Amino acid sequence: MMESTQYLYTTIVLLAICTAICRAGYLLFGHYVTLPEGVRSALRYAPLAALTGIVIPELLPWHPIEGPQVDLRLLAAAIAVGVFLWTRNGFLLIVSGMLALWGSRWAFGL
Amino acid sequence: MRDGLRAVSPGLIALAIWGVVTGVAMVKAGLTEPQAIAMSLLVYAGSAQLTALPLMAAGAPVWLIFAAGIIVNLRFLIFGAALHPFFRDLPWRKRLFLGYLSVDVSFIVFMPRFADAIKKGTLEQHWFFIGTILPAWVVWQSASMLGIALGALVPVSWSLEFGAVLALMAMMLPHITSRPVLISVVASALTAWLTQLWPLRLGLLAAVLVGIIAGMWAERRLQTKQTESKARQ
Repeated sequence: MMESTQYLYTTIVLLAICTAICRAGYLLFGHYVTLPEGVRSALRYAPLAALTGIVIPELLPWHPIEGPQVDLRLLAAAIAVGVFLWTRNGFLLIVSGMLALWGSRWAFGL
Repeated sequence: MRDGLRAVSPGLIALAIWGVVTGVAMVKAGLTEPQAIAMSLLVYAGSAQLTALPLMAAGAPVWLIFAAGIIVNLRFLIFGAALHPFFRDLPWRKRLFLGYLSVDVSFIVFMPRFADAIKKGTLEQHWFFIGTILPAWVVWQSASMLGIALGALVPVSWSLEFGAVLALMAMMLPHITSRPVLISVVASALTAWLTQLWPLRLGLLAAVLVGIIAGMWAERRLQTKQTESKARQ
């Protein structure tokens, strides 16, 4: 299925270099670049924004032809958020979300 | 170190689920077990791995896969800028080691705790950080190995990947504690929704940028309002 072994290991090594550049690059060479305090405070919003950017396409996928999709995942996620706001418990969020997904699929016969 | 472990433990559930999902995905994309293990140990970046797999299966040129890997990982460059003041005085080998092993979770628990610290780069901060990255590495690698072993055994109908999404949400929600943060999240959510058909997951980068801009804008507006109401009193 995959092309040659050499191609595969080349890609893996290059991706490892990606990891090193992005994660350690600033720690290694940041001495030569100084960031103003304003930029630093801006960066506080980055992690949550990145997580949002990963989560949203999973909950509200967009089909290349049919456009925006809505399915039971959104319902399950909404229930899970409700449970979290009520209990303040992250583990219950995960459990209730999975149960809501399985339960609603069963209820709708999907 | 124990504080770091304690702070990171809810995030470890997310990592474990993502790790299993990534392990399964690597095998399903056609990697042999040794290849999948090598990828997990060397690359150690779930989003980059999951982005690269379809490209690798399609035999895309290696430069394109490299570029996609950089883009998906760009957020770490941003995190690195924020972490830099805390680690700048360490020798370069330690900086490389700590940077290479840092993950989203470690950044997310580290920054709210120490961002306003007057003294940056203390031993306490370093050990806290190490307390987040070492358990994260152990959990991720074990979960990935489990996923590789399970391979095709996990039925698709379980929708295990949805558990990973829920786990990420469980990490996010406790940090939405102020109006500017909420506005930032809503703005990046809208951007992520609208841009998801962009190639190479560039929409993720757009969502990060819009989230930062919206958060800063809301923060500044809040400050102006507060100074105005103070001036009126």
